[in-house]
Amino acid sequence: MIALIVYNIIQVAVVVAFAPLVEGVTSRLKEILQSKRGPSIFQPYRDIWKLLHKDEIVSEQSSWIFRATPYIVFAAPIFVALLIPVLTRYPLFFAFMADMLGVGFVFALAGFFACLAAADTANPYGPMGASRTRMVGFLAEPVFIMVFLTISFVAGSTIPYIVQTRWVTPIANFFEPSHILLLMAFLMLILAEDGRIPVDSPSGQFELAMIDRSKSLEYSGRGAALMKWAGAMKFFVLIIVFLNVLVTPWGLADSMDLGSVLLAIPLVLLKVFCFLLLLVYIESSLAKLRLFRITEFIGAAFVISVVAVITRLSEM
Amino acid sequence: MPNTSILFALDALTGALFLLTAIGVVATRQVLASLQLFILQSLLLTLSAVLLGIAQGSIHLFAVAAITIATKTLLIPWLLRHTVSAEVYRTREIERVLNIPSSLLIAAILIVLAYVVADPLLTVVGLPFDQVNLPLGIAAMFLGAFTIAVRREAVPQLLGLLAVENGVFFAGVAIVPNLPVIAELAAAVDVPVVALVVGMLTRRIHARLGTTAVGRLASLREQ
Amino acid sequence: MELAALLLVPLLASGFSLLPAGRRFAAPVTLLGSVIVLALAVAVAAEAARSGRVAASGEWLTCDGLGALILLLVAFVGFTAALFSWGYVAESVKHGRQKSVRLYYALYNLFVLSMLAVPLLANVALMWIAVELTTLVSAFLVGFEDTPEALEAAWKYVVLTTLGAVLALLGFLILYWGSRIAGLTPFTWSGLVEAAPNMPPALLWPAFLFILVGFGTKVGLVPMHTWLPDAHSQAPASICALLSGVETTTVLYVILRLFPVVGVAQGLDARPWFVGFGLLSVGIATLLFIHVRDFKRMFAFSTVEHMGIILVAAGLGGADAHLGAAYQMVGHAIAKSFCFFAAGVTVLSVGTQDIASVRGLARSSPLAATALIAGGFAIAGAPPFAVFVSEFVIFKAGLASGQYLIVALLACLVVVAFCAVMFHINRMVFGDAQHEAPAMAVPRSCKVTLALAAIPLVIIGIYVPAPLYDLLKAAASAMGG
Repeated sequence: MIALIVYNIIQVAVVVAFAPLVEGVTSRLKEILQSKRGPSIFQPYRDIWKLLHKDEIVSEQSSWIFRATPYIVFAAPIFVALLIPVLTRYPLFFAFMADMLGVGFVFALAGFFACLAAADTANPYGPMGASRTRMVGFLAEPVFIMVFLTISFVAGSTIPYIVQTRWVTPIANFFEPSHILLLMAFLMLILAEDGRIPVDSPSGQFELAMIDRSKSLEYSGRGAALMKWAGAMKFFVLIIVFLNVLVTPWGLADSMDLGSVLLAIPLVLLKVFCFLLLLVYIESSLAKLRLFRITEFIGAAFVISVVAVITRLSEM
Repeated sequence: MPNTSILFALDALTGALFLLTAIGVVATRQVLASLQLFILQSLLLTLSAVLLGIAQGSIHLFAVAAITIATKTLLIPWLLRHTVSAEVYRTREIERVLNIPSSLLIAAILIVLAYVVADPLLTVVGLPFDQVNLPLGIAAMFLGAFTIAVRREAVPQLLGLLAVENGVFFAGVAIVPNLPVIAELAAAVDVPVVALVVGMLTRRIHARLGTTAVGRLASLREQ
Repeated sequence: MELAALLLVPLLASGFSLLPAGRRFAAPVTLLGSVIVLALAVAVAAEAARSGRVAASGEWLTCDGLGALILLLVAFVGFTAALFSWGYVAESVKHGRQKSVRLYYALYNLFVLSMLAVPLLANVALMWIAVELTTLVSAFLVGFEDTPEALEAAWKYVVLTTLGAVLALLGFLILYWGSRIAGLTPFTWSGLVEAAPNMPPALLWPAFLFILVGFGTKVGLVPMHTWLPDAHSQAPASICALLSGVETTTVLYVILRLFPVVGVAQGLDARPWFVGFGLLSVGIATLLFIHVRDFKRMFAFSTVEHMGIILVAAGLGGADAHLGAAYQMVGHAIAKSFCFFAAGVTVLSVGTQDIASVRGLARSSPLAATALIAGGFAIAGAPPFAVFVSEFVIFKAGLASGQYLIVALLACLVVVAFCAVMFHINRMVFGDAQHEAPAMAVPRSCKVTLALAAIPLVIIGIYVPAPLYDLLKAAASAMGG
């Protein structure tokens, strides 16, 4: 019992601590792939540290929403980290609270506040980014529902701990077309949801072309630090959900002792690193889509998830 | 038998990717990309034939695989490059009748329709592979036909036609593992001839009309 | 032996036409080849009418009554169209493009070869390839005139009919699957008929529909007919005669072959499908007749109508209706090829295909006018032409088996079509001449063709020779009636 609570806290700590590293590694890898040296992989930590020590400026015109949003956005991935399998194969203490749909709702709440806050500042770019995010969100949501529906249809559950073992018992399940197709659809959703190429450019500095990043333009000091950190954590958590729940539970701790849980940390990070290689390759080989082409991108994800359902039907 | 179940799962995966390439041929904008998708689709067809050949110990299916590789992934791209002028390949944005999201939606409906069509066939006791290859093959067929309907450019229409053929063969390798070799060889000749004839025709249309947007040709119709 | 020779002769003629010196003697060689083919086909047909079955080259080539009938029709139209081509092609490519003449004759021979192969090849898979080849080989012949319209027509023709053929291929693969389940019978038509009772009906049914829709595209059944009026109106007249007169019939032959296969399966009935598609084709073609503007297009629609009538006749069932269907095929092939020859001569005389701009043909070009009127009467089904008799036989058979509604509908549509055809031809032939002088002189070979083709056109409606009657009987029985 106590162990479960402790492990759960370790799990959250891993997410909080390593999220900026994941982001740093991603941008470094991308720079290397583009034959540049790139910043240190610890650069996000330094940025966050620097921002935390700076003064915060808040517009007098803005309401409490603007001030509360960084905390809500920051809390959301932490909350999600309580629910999902980050390090263990067995459910931890708080895992009973919600299934994968619950995870989706928590992120939706954070996204909702981020949009409100962006509109709250009356900075012209904020609402623009918010409305674009909503557009992508509206398009992505049916696909999310479709994907979760398929997962529950295939695995018979939406509880991540049940889902993850379904893919590898027996191992032939791993090659099921519905599984591979779900992975593809979900990967496309991660790209869309997290504002990565080809939907949005995370490193772009051009406000008019921004989708996701322009929402937090108005933040400074601690608010900016929290938003940045929260963004990194959300990315990390989405990758974890993808890798641990949807791909396989390989590398996770099976037994209850502390040693194997701690051993799972480097293994999971290694898995994440391999995934980042793939992601960076995808991002570097694609160009950002025009805004109205995003519908096509997400439409493709939708069709893939529909095909996943259908091929699943044919095997029954 | 775990061995068969792995083969089955791999075949199912091949089928799923096969279907995705068929969707891709409907949805891509660029001529070259749709040609590459077609080649990929043919490779997946080959893979499925090999998997089924291993599962059933049928030498015919290896012959089908070899023929597919030779004709569809090597000969046809070569033929197209030599008959159709390079200008056609430079077309980035293919003119189309429907926009991409709507065509994707219709594609999804067509896939469901393919399952409806294949359903009575699947009641016949056959190999487990039929359950995968038959509906997916029919779906790819429908998608290929749909490609012809939504595309206006000549080469993508041809690729749609060849995708239909791929779909038929994808279904065929599961249901007829032992078609006489002579028929296979003849079919192997047929496919490049289709590509050649259509390619030459495209070249003539291009030379005569200065365009390959065959969907735009509409001087012949009922008044 | 004759069967193998039937395929060999056009192949040789095709090779000769391609020779560099071919421009000079491609036409005579083709003509010679087609005469030999016609003679062989008559011999085979006579044999088939007498004994029922001829086989040669092991079991690869066979021919029964229905096959022999198709063979005879292809050989006959192949002969007349070759004769017509001689002058017509020389006239239309007078300026330049010498090389394309050789290509024309080479492909012409291959086209005839592929159509001859369809009834001859015993293996159904090979037969499918022969059908597919008819399209591929004739694609360039359709686009021969190299106008934008001709190329457009050729494109539609190739893409749609190949698509249809591929659909049909799936049908044949399913049939093969079924015959494998039913036990190891050879994949031939007779083998399929034998195996059909043991096949799961769940397989036969989709196979039948795939083939009906797939090859129905090539036959020009509504609603898959859209390419047909384009291709049949833009190709050179000699090719139109082959396309309309026999290519459609040849493919229809394959569909009719399915009837005995599906007919014997339990709980299945192909007849409503035949009747449904047939009536739809006749109906739509009749409607399109009424405001057609191009006279070659009009004849093309008439082909759609005739295919529909044959299909309805096959669907009515019974020996008499099938006899009518076989007779209609003969009447159609002879009359329709004659019509396109007449249309070709008309085009040479007035230089247009537009009905509205042709007036008073009777004065400006009496030959074309006479041919058009005769052809028009023949395809519309006026007595004493063969189509009248065959339609009469079909109606009678339908009434005898109590299918009044179908017969009534068919009769109404046929009458409307008759009026429409005669109306258009009337407008072209009579009235004041607008064309002072013929646009081009009609070549002698075209005139000879018209005269030759007119002989069976007139005779066959009045008098059917006994061997031909036996052949029709044999064909009808092969259709399962």
